[in-house]
This record gives sequence, C-alpha cells and structure tokens, in this order.
Amino acid sequence: MSATALLGALELGLIYALVAQGVFLSFRVLNFPDLTVDGSFPLGAAVAASLIVAGLDPFTATLVAVLAGALAGLVTAWLNVRFGILHLLASILVMIALFSVNIRIMGRPNVALLGQTTILTPFEDLGLSLELLRPLLIGVVVLAVSGLLARFLLSETGLAMRATGANPRMARANGIATGALVCLGMAISNAMVALAGALFAQANGFADVTVGVGTIVVGLAAVILGETLVRTRRVAMLLVACILGSIAYRLAVALALDLDALGLQASDLNLVTALLVGVALLLPGMRGRLGAALRRGRT
Amino acid sequence: MIALEDIHVTFAAGTPLETRALRGIELAIAQGEFVTVIGSNGAGKSTVLGALTGDVRPDRGRITVDGRDVTTWPAPRRAGLVARVFQDPLAGTCDALSIEENMALASARGRRRGLRAALDASRRTLFRERLAELGLGLEKRLHDPIGALSGGQRQAVSLVMATLSPMKILLLDEHTAALDPRTAQFVLELTDRIVATHGLTTLMVTHSMRQALDHGSRTVMLHEGRVAFDVAGSERKGLDVPDLLALFQRVQHQTLDDDALLAG
Repeated sequence: MSATALLGALELGLIYALVAQGVFLSFRVLNFPDLTVDGSFPLGAAVAASLIVAGLDPFTATLVAVLAGALAGLVTAWLNVRFGILHLLASILVMIALFSVNIRIMGRPNVALLGQTTILTPFEDLGLSLELLRPLLIGVVVLAVSGLLARFLLSETGLAMRATGANPRMARANGIATGALVCLGMAISNAMVALAGALFAQANGFADVTVGVGTIVVGLAAVILGETLVRTRRVAMLLVACILGSIAYRLAVALALDLDALGLQASDLNLVTALLVGVALLLPGMRGRLGAALRRGRT
Repeated sequence: MIALEDIHVTFAAGTPLETRALRGIELAIAQGEFVTVIGSNGAGKSTVLGALTGDVRPDRGRITVDGRDVTTWPAPRRAGLVARVFQDPLAGTCDALSIEENMALASARGRRRGLRAALDASRRTLFRERLAELGLGLEKRLHDPIGALSGGQRQAVSLVMATLSPMKILLLDEHTAALDPRTAQFVLELTDRIVATHGLTTLMVTHSMRQALDHGSRTVMLHEGRVAFDVAGSERKGLDVPDLLALFQRVQHQTLDDDALLAG
C-alpha cells in the first residue's frame, strides 16, 4: 500500500474516531441505539460547507455545525424521553427528516469547497505536505475532544450519565433526573458526529447529502473493533479504544481493497465492513473457547 | 416526622385488571423510629414504599415530611429525603461501575451534580473508612467492579451507600430476602448497627414475622391496603411469632366477616 493511501486511511480513521466515540456514548454509555448519526454526520458537513461558502470564517462555521448536531440529537432524545417513542424508531425518524433538512441547508444535494478557506488553511504555511498536515491536525482535534469527553465522563454528571444507561432505576433512586441526562448525552454524541462531518467536508473539499449513509455501521464497527483490541474498563482507555478501532477499521478496509489478489472493487466496501464487524464480534468468544480447548489438551 | 394520610392507590383503574392496592393508609413515623412492616402478598407493602419514594403517585391522600407536602414530588426530587436498599442486590447497584464509583453516585444523592471529578483522594479515604467498618475486606477492592461481589457483599455495600448522604427516612425493601440465612443474618445485624450509629428513621419491609419482631421498635401489619394493626413498646415486647400469627388470622377473619356483611 502506498504512503498516500496509508495517510488517507489514517486521516479517515481519525475523522471517524469522533463518530466512534459519539456512538460509544449513545450505544454503550446510555444504552440508546441511535441511528440519528446517519443524518447528523452530513448535517455537520452541510452546515459547515454552506456557511463557509456564504463567507463565514471556518471556525465559527464548524462551531455552528457542532451546535446543529447537538440539536439533532436533542430532538431524538426528546421524542424518546418526552413522548415514549421507541429509541430506535425516534432516531430513524430524525435521520429520515435530516435528509431533507440537509438538502434545504445546502440548497442542492452537494456543495463544493474548492478554493475556500477552511480550518486547515491557516496551517498550510507550516511547510508540511497536505496529506501529512490533514491527519496531524485532525489528530490534534480528536485528542482534545477525547480529553474533554473523558474528563466529563469522570465528573459527577458524567458518572450520573453512566448510571442512567446502566441502571436507570438505581439512578432515579439516587436523585438522578435520567431523562435530562439522556437528552444531554444524545446532544453531545450527535455534536461529536456533526464535528466529524464538518471536518470531513473541509478535508475533502465537499459536502454531499449521501456521505452519511452507513455512518452508524462504521461507528459501531470501530467501537467493536476497539473493544476487541483494547480490553479495559477505564474510561480514558475506552475512548482510546474507539480511536484505535476506527483507524484499524480503515486500515483493514484499505488493505483489503488494495490487495489485487483478493480481486475486490470499491463497491465491495460494505461486504468487507460486515465481515470485519462479524469477525470482531466472534473473536472474543472464540478466544475463550480456544483457551479452554488448549487447557483441556494439556491436562 | 413522616406521615401518610389517607393514601389511596389504584392500579389500572377502570380496566378489568383494576387493583385497589392501598385503601386509606394512615401511618405516622416519628423521627428516629425503626418500623418493621409485614403483610401477605398483595397487602400493599411495596406500594407503600413506592408512595414514599415517589415511584407511585397516590390517587388520594397526602404525604408529608416534617410538615412539608411532598405528595407530587417525582422520585429524583424525593431522593434528598429518602434513601433505599432494594430487595434485589442487582437493582441497587450499577454492575458495570466499580465499588468506588457506585459509592460516589450514592454520596451525591439529593445534591446537585456538577462537573467536578466524581472521585478524589478525600472521598476515596472516606469510602475506604466506611467499607472497613463492614469487616469484609472490601476497603482494598475500591476499583473492582461491584458486579464481582456476592449478593451479601453487595447488600452490605448498598447499606453503606444509602447512608453516605443525609436523609429523612431509610427504606429497606425486603433487603435480605434474596440472601441465604447466614448472610441474611449478617446483613440484618449490620442494619441494626448502622441504624443505631446514625440514628436513622427506618422503615423495613419484610416477609418474616421473626425479623419483624426481632428488629426495630415498632411493627405494622398491612392487610388489603390498610393498616391491620400497629404495635410498639411493651405490648410489642410481649409478642412472639405465634401471637403475631393469631393476630393476623383474626384480622383476616374480621375482613372476611366485613365482606360477608357487605355482600349480605
């Protein structure tokens, strides 16, 4: 695999690390299967790209994109908490609605950012090649966001959020307003996914309404791969696992598509993803059985 | 003073499954009192607890704590007044979280939770001290997931967790029912010790008449959603399980006779 392909995979892996951590927050911490992310990823891209094209500075545009993502997550949580709509269904409703909203925001199905000032522009004078600069800068953003999220999850409110997902009855008995924490967690989760969308648009020079398709699967794949790679219960390490899982996923996919011997083409991506996630899910169980078989063999 | 005044609760009202769980409960618990509650299945024990914790909203009646009307307060808001230990050891703790994290959660009961770290050196020291009082060696296992503890250990930790933050009343919901007899005995002795040390106002629901008489200072029997009898002091001291059974049977016949009268 070429250095360009490797750096490209790293860059994409880092962008989707934010998605993975967002999915980790909804699926694992809050126990809330959330498909909103398929809509909030392109929402972040659409808002950031449209505002940049309209002349807003890219940092403000990215911030507005993050807030838009938070709002999307809040709507899903609100539908579930206030009206009792099944979490999965509530998130599908918002995801579907966002498809139309995203086209409205852009005014058309896609927006090009070629030649526009992005958050990467100020750093282009550093003398690094673009293909090295992009993963580096995105990596810094990912580390900063991970640090904040880890700090939050270890705070009193963060601990209350973890209890809300793990044992809501116990949480309520200890004075935790579980509904409010579901809303907060879902807002943070989708804000992170929208940030990933905004970074994606600025790194790739376009926003397209279809870039969100399968976001949830990629995010879950990264979370599950990460859990297989890093066995831990520590909060900070769980977030690191999401990052590693996301990068490992991108590298595995790039490698699979790169090997001529396999004869795969780009459209086989979904099949490769499904196989990867399947293997990652089976692996822990197989490891246990294999160990047991070995121990039996020895005695 | 905790007072339940004429509390009525009906589940599934207006349907064929309508159940009148509570039919005018009157119960006043003075500060520092340790009340044990007994009654057969369906007598309304769990519903009384639910009414106190805010999980069950009464159709009629008033619940006051030190004169303050809390009838409409939802469960999280009541948490500052009410601490509880569940029957199921799994229900009162968070499996996935460590012992210290569970304790940190409980120590913030009834307080605003902010963004400061849930755990710090001073809190760990406090938790270690409180766990050491149990004599189970748990003070060395602060980082272990609470799911790794046995049912008895978990109930012991749950008791400590309930007392980490101030309360007006401690509710024990058949908290030894899921334990083997020896462990149950240990948890009960621990309960007596903790209640006495902290001078807690306590309401303990149990299905064991023996436990109801051996622990606490007052015993209340519920029957068909009402207080069937209420004994304390010297009258209670003279009671044994057969006396309690006889009382229970008399109460049952009485209600049967009442029903027969109504039917006639």
